[in-house]
Amino acid sequence: MTVALAQRPALANDPALRPVISFHGVGKTYGSGTVALSDIDLAIYQRDFVFLVGASGAGKSTLVRLLIRDEPASSGRIFVDGQEVTRMPRRRLPKLRRKFGIVFQDYKLLPTQTVGQNVAFALQVTRPGQRHMREKVEETLWIVGLEDKINKFPDELSGGEQQRVAIARALVTRPRIFLADEPTGNLDPDTSWGIVQLLLQINHRGTTVLMATHNREVVDLVRRRVIAIDGGRVIRDEQEGKYLREGEATI
Amino acid sequence: MRRFLSALWFAIKSSLQNFRRNLGVSLAGVCTMGLILVLIGALSLGTHLLTNVLRDQESRASKLKIYIQDGISLADIANFQHQLKTDPRVLAVSFENKDQAFQEAASKGTDIATAVTALGSNPLPASLNVDVKQLRYLVQLDSVARSSPIVDSTQPTDYNPDVTPKIQAAINIIEGVVGFVSLMLLVVSLVIIMNTIRTAVYARRTEIEIMKLVGATDWFVRWPFLLEGIFGGILGAVLAGVVVLGIYKLVVSLTAGALFSIPFDGLFTIVVIAGLFVGGAVIGAIGSYLGVRRFLAA
Repeated sequence: MTVALAQRPALANDPALRPVISFHGVGKTYGSGTVALSDIDLAIYQRDFVFLVGASGAGKSTLVRLLIRDEPASSGRIFVDGQEVTRMPRRRLPKLRRKFGIVFQDYKLLPTQTVGQNVAFALQVTRPGQRHMREKVEETLWIVGLEDKINKFPDELSGGEQQRVAIARALVTRPRIFLADEPTGNLDPDTSWGIVQLLLQINHRGTTVLMATHNREVVDLVRRRVIAIDGGRVIRDEQEGKYLREGEATI
Repeated sequence: MRRFLSALWFAIKSSLQNFRRNLGVSLAGVCTMGLILVLIGALSLGTHLLTNVLRDQESRASKLKIYIQDGISLADIANFQHQLKTDPRVLAVSFENKDQAFQEAASKGTDIATAVTALGSNPLPASLNVDVKQLRYLVQLDSVARSSPIVDSTQPTDYNPDVTPKIQAAINIIEGVVGFVSLMLLVVSLVIIMNTIRTAVYARRTEIEIMKLVGATDWFVRWPFLLEGIFGGILGAVLAGVVVLGIYKLVVSLTAGALFSIPFDGLFTIVVIAGLFVGGAVIGAIGSYLGVRRFLAA
């Protein structure tokens, strides 16, 4: 099945514009023979806000992992900022990953560190010795609305607050691309909406956002670009899309 | 420079934090490592001392006594002595006359005086005492002596021909066994450190996962664990150094005045203890590198 890529009329004619992320015929087959992704073609541009939707096991998380080369693709080529990820030597992967801010459903916070230390951790790891670290951490916590929780520990926070800390940690390094893999998976609808608003705000500041989700309400409310995956293939890619196409009962 | 120092500080802080957090496992690793290093240190020191004792025995055994017939002139004896002295296999030659032989026998408590009284004369022959350079020359020089006309034909020479191969074989066996056992112990200590670090890596898997996700280099992730391994290895070596030194001093004091007394060899002790420190640090580093490698490759 050929799927037309969503076009951005105002920008698509700009010859200087190149996608921030592009997939060309990408496939992923695991050792057991399970095909996770097949023949994926995608182009995501600067400032895009993209929902990657699909049922559990559709291949959303695999796509995210291939993008940061947490796993190698079995076929095809992936480009990030004009650099080919699929052929990148291992020693250059840290530099690639610094272009991304990543959050997951399970937050992945360090329980023995305070909120401030968790956020500062990303800076310590990627930019050791950076000046004004505390100011940057405070500023980022202010963006996510947790400036008063800097000395709290993760287990003293609600699920939504913990996800905001994870977002602050991903944001503090000022990434070009923000990847969120099911960030609202463990949250109630109100809290989920708060997280999505935060991601929209980050996108508004100029960061490309790719959010893998199966939260139908959120996708339908926001009405941004939607890429639907099913059985490891892109089955739909549309601007201002909805979770389901008109008349569809499921993806 | 600022980045480097900051990264180094991060690694040191993380390794100490990790050591403290997994104190039980870390201390167990240090103690086991220490015990293994004690064994290796004691074996090295013991082998060295035993080899020294055997070499000393060997040097004492490398003597050939050539008995001279009665009535041979001093000039003939001097000629033969000169012939032996110029032989490249010979270290030294000394002449022992009949009186000196009597004195020597008397000093060993032999009832020689009674024999002299009964016989009416000193029955002990004069001799040339030859120090050979290597034990294997004893047999060759024995043939040379036997072919000389001035040598006593009834009892030409005196030496122990069997001692050489026995001592050499003993030294070879001891060194071989100790080398093999030390190698095995080193492998065991490597595995122990590797498993200790794997436990530490497992305890910090989320932290490492985050490090990798935000773009930490492999070496940035690896350094805290390497330092932890080196730290554990050195602590084990301190433990081992104290114990080995204590045992050595005890053995030296216990054997003082005995037949095979063991002297305190300060230089070799320093070499062994320095070797334990270097060995502990290197084993710690290699064990950590291997322990964390699988996780980083994942």
